[in-house]
Amino acid sequence: MISLHPQKEFVFPIIAEGINPDVFQDKNRGEIEELEIWEGNKQKKLGELFKVKETGTEPQQEDIAIVIYGDLSRVRRIGAWMKGGEITINGNVGMHLGEEMEGGKITVHGSVGGWAGSMMKGGIIEIHGNASHYLGAAYRGSSQGMNGGRIIVHGNVGYEAGAYMRKGLMKIYGSVGQFAGFRMHNGTIYIQKDCEGRVGACMKNGKIVVAGFLESVLPTFTIESIRKKVKIGEDDVAEGPFYRFLGDLTENGNGKLYVLKEENPHLSTYERLL
Amino acid sequence: MPVVKAVPCPVCGSLCDDIELTIENGKIVKVKNGCAMCESKFLSHNSEHRILKPLIKRNGKLIEASFEEAAKKAAEILADANYPILYGWSSTNCEATRVGLELAEEIGGVIDNTAVICHGPSILSVQQVGIPSCTLGQIRHRADLVIYWGSNPWSSHPRHIERYTTFSEGRFQRSTWKRYLLKVKASIVRKKIESALRRVFFKKKPSTPRIGGLPPSMLREGRKLVVVDVRKTKSAEIADYFIQVEPCKDYELLQALRALIRDEEIDVDKVAGVPVENLEEVADLMIKCNFGILFFGVGLTMSEGKMRNIDAALSLVRDLNTRTKFAIMPMRGHFNVTGANTVFTWQTGYPYAVDFSLGYPRYNPGETSIMDILLNKESDATLVVASDPAANFPQKAVEHLVKNPLIVIDPHMNVTAQMADVIFPSAFVGIEESGTAYRMDHVPLPLKKVVNPPRDVLSDEEILRKILSEVRKLKEKKLVEVA
Repeated sequence: MISLHPQKEFVFPIIAEGINPDVFQDKNRGEIEELEIWEGNKQKKLGELFKVKETGTEPQQEDIAIVIYGDLSRVRRIGAWMKGGEITINGNVGMHLGEEMEGGKITVHGSVGGWAGSMMKGGIIEIHGNASHYLGAAYRGSSQGMNGGRIIVHGNVGYEAGAYMRKGLMKIYGSVGQFAGFRMHNGTIYIQKDCEGRVGACMKNGKIVVAGFLESVLPTFTIESIRKKVKIGEDDVAEGPFYRFLGDLTENGNGKLYVLKEENPHLSTYERLL
Repeated sequence: MPVVKAVPCPVCGSLCDDIELTIENGKIVKVKNGCAMCESKFLSHNSEHRILKPLIKRNGKLIEASFEEAAKKAAEILADANYPILYGWSSTNCEATRVGLELAEEIGGVIDNTAVICHGPSILSVQQVGIPSCTLGQIRHRADLVIYWGSNPWSSHPRHIERYTTFSEGRFQRSTWKRYLLKVKASIVRKKIESALRRVFFKKKPSTPRIGGLPPSMLREGRKLVVVDVRKTKSAEIADYFIQVEPCKDYELLQALRALIRDEEIDVDKVAGVPVENLEEVADLMIKCNFGILFFGVGLTMSEGKMRNIDAALSLVRDLNTRTKFAIMPMRGHFNVTGANTVFTWQTGYPYAVDFSLGYPRYNPGETSIMDILLNKESDATLVVASDPAANFPQKAVEHLVKNPLIVIDPHMNVTAQMADVIFPSAFVGIEESGTAYRMDHVPLPLKKVVNPPRDVLSDEEILRKILSEVRKLKEKKLVEVA
């Protein structure tokens, strides 16, 4: 296991694509310290910014485990493109965590910045704090969002979680901001608490489950039925009853939006249309 | 007295190029054809707020310095910085912006223009959806349905309606100016009658709410003007039809219109405070027009939903083009903000918020945009060109901006300049300096130099070239030292 400790409080953005189990593979401590990392517009060595320690098992093992301690809220792209191994972060972490990752696991005992798990294809990201905007979303200009894997957030999430999502599962145990599941093509988003609105805007397919309060459903969704329960992923079920809306009509969409009836009595006006 | 004709006005994105200036003893004394903003800029460019000498802050006081000294100081600040930002660029010419980009690359900084606080969301959505647009000339001659959404051109772009839309006399579309005058006269007469009746019968003003249906003016032949806004602005008063949308509900309204244009049924009776039957009529009007244009302003880009509002507006116009001819255009604010976006794009591939810190251009508004950098307190030096961020940025952003070394290039002693460490006086682009600017419809226009700048005052481009050359000298010196 490799552990990293920041040498100082970071002021400028740190681009740390090198902090990745695939990169650390087959490298000893000295080689890891020599890895390149950017601080603002200056190129540095990893060892200049982080104290690297080897603990426990040998670094040559098949699945490398990296543990990072401290405030990394200005450190970006940790675990980007990783294919295996494990990263545990004890503290807050910056943007683009696990961007385009294909496998492995990232656990954060803190909050994360924007674009966490954006365009990820596989693996697991578990966040025990809050996540900022564009969780599992697409990069600017791209229409390919999260395409596999799982994201679990125990806190709240910002705007546009799961935008352009194509596959995978996102479980949010807190509240979310607007435009969750914007233009999603497939996959599942489960929101246990409240949702700010505009959920599922322009969605073409997929499933969004809101088990908390939702102020309003977009006018371009139409009510279809009331369901007793909804399946979340492969092995989980949310107990209802849920209003089931279909949309988005503007995109000829067949997306399913489930909203818990008990938490949303103001949506009972839709029942006259059933 | 010499009169200079066909001068483009360096104020708003309309870039009206029919201004006539009378020059006397090297000063502009009369402005013809311009709006109030245009007249004010041309007549008062040489006001008492003008900076005439470079200034450097020493012991908390701004002291006059030579141009070379100021350039060296600015170069030292920028070359030593770890994460500098270069901001502004929308009120200068394309030539200066080009040098600014070169400087940003040289120092590994982040360069951003004022689009980030106005139509940045529009650009993000255009990249996502695409934009069916046209020139203002086409609109003037052909558009029979003009919609302003979240924009009040009567105040922000005063000659836009007169030169390019409903009050302009096009080849195929007549001006509705006379119709507007008749409407105003009728309104005055109606008010007088109502007032007289009130006095006679001691009654309150009769309320005549109109329930559903379009007004008779919308059923007439010819050009029609529709305004969608949260409040009844002056532009809304002259419109044939005004849709008052609930604040921050534009997205819902746009999406509902999209659904109606696709002949879909809507489950609710009202959307964003507007009855669905009215929306159905508006959707019909949009489909039946021969050439429609949707102009949108910061009321749409900067209200809740931001880029997704524009996404919906662009998608609406895309959908409309399956039924008729429709175009869409952002109402750009500064006279050359479109030019700044254009130069940024052809130089780096990205229109704003470009980060050169890794040696190559990166772009991710939200991460590399000036507001986020300042609020996250990540920068350590700033160069501001032809802008006044200290006057309009949030307090926390300004606090960080002025905490670090600040260089300002501006003709005036504005709020940002007062807090700067190095100040360069510059010539007014479009008055004392020529160059190229892009109108809101991406038409490039040559700006004119009509009077000479004050003595020893250089253009933005010349100042930036000097700083760039000083930065290069410093870097070479450093390389020699290392070697």
